[in-house]
Amino acid sequence: MGVIDELTAEFARLPGVGRKTAARLTFFLLKRSPDEARRLARAIDAVADRVRHCSRCGNLTETDPCGLCEDPRRDRSVICVVEEAADVLAIERTGQYRGMYHVLAGRLSPLEGVGPEDLNIDSLLRRLVGSTGGKEVQELIIATNPSVEGEATALYLQKLVRPRGVRVTRLARGLPVGGDLEYADGVTIAEALSGRREL
Amino acid sequence: MALATLDAIILQAFPYSETSKILRLLTPGHGVQSVMAKGARRLRSRYGGILEPFTDGFATFYLRQNRELHTLSDFELVRPRQALGRDLVRFGGASLLAEIMLRTASEEAAPEVFSRVRSALDRLEAASPETVEATALAETWALITALGFGPSLDRCVECGEAVPDEGELFLDYAAGGVFCKACQGGGGGGRVLPEPARADLRALSAGVVVELPRTGAHWQLLSRFLAFHLVDAASLRSLDFLYGARGAQ
Repeated sequence: MGVIDELTAEFARLPGVGRKTAARLTFFLLKRSPDEARRLARAIDAVADRVRHCSRCGNLTETDPCGLCEDPRRDRSVICVVEEAADVLAIERTGQYRGMYHVLAGRLSPLEGVGPEDLNIDSLLRRLVGSTGGKEVQELIIATNPSVEGEATALYLQKLVRPRGVRVTRLARGLPVGGDLEYADGVTIAEALSGRREL
Repeated sequence: MALATLDAIILQAFPYSETSKILRLLTPGHGVQSVMAKGARRLRSRYGGILEPFTDGFATFYLRQNRELHTLSDFELVRPRQALGRDLVRFGGASLLAEIMLRTASEEAAPEVFSRVRSALDRLEAASPETVEATALAETWALITALGFGPSLDRCVECGEAVPDEGELFLDYAAGGVFCKACQGGGGGGRVLPEPARADLRALSAGVVVELPRTGAHWQLLSRFLAFHLVDAASLRSLDFLYGARGAQ
């Protein structure tokens, strides 16, 4: 296999990239200056070398503990539990949350062979006993996806955490902002109805 | 090639690429089929949140012979089963039923198996907290029976003679049932079934929920029986999950 085919095959392994797109990306790089290709290679190399999981929260980071865990301005009494590191970015983009995070690295899925022992649950429980900078955790916001498996994961965590005297909350579910009720599916409308609140 | 709209239960749903999902569907007329739901992971997908495991509905897709993956055209919700995720034993029980179906998957018509799975999920959802574990056991044994490898409890698996209701008998896992006193058995894996345990197992295999003072022994029996009858059943992941879920409840 020549180097062009090799690079194309590597691109094709990325999510959402098929053979045609992979070939297009390869030829795009070949048309640019060699420096640009080297810059990309260096960036990929640096990510592979430097990025790891934060030993406290499981988020992806270059420093351990990560910047979020080390930030003294963040509220250490609240931890938001998410499935993946990408979910941290999604919540951070809102600019509305100033607490800490914990990345589970998945959700319970018996059919895919993911049990509690495969998730970062032990490290979460360790954080609840006062290892988060001296201030006790008072609330755990469970922000797993609103799927059957995400729901089971939330329930599992709730059963583990609630006896420790920590308040457990779950992200609200319902209609997306700007959406049309007419086009919403039955499950979403039912969830929105059951989670309705006083005006 | 024909556009088909089929009764379907989603056995499994997993992400594919950034925006799509692959679903394993159980249908009455075409067994287990795999379909891709394009765009299903988008926030404003037309499928919304309905393409979740255990959901019941009408799936529309082009059914092509000799094709392993079809493209979903529409899914009309009949019954969501989100509530199964709000109880670990219900979730584990439903996952076990789905996993057994996926392990025994074929594309052959099996309307009675489809009905069995549908009613099993309904009953798991409706069971009271006190009976949910026995319901999960009953529905699993009943599904195994509907699939054709339920334990023979009334006739000897060796000689075919009817066995008495009274007394204990040896249940041979590999042979798939009990041995009469004359045939003995016991060469392979198995265990002696006391009379009440055999009565419970007979009821469970018929889908009847009975009061079980010690469910642990029944889960163990189910696990060992399945190990002899499913390919690679030693790693039946939902069963492992259920063991843990029982402790967490």
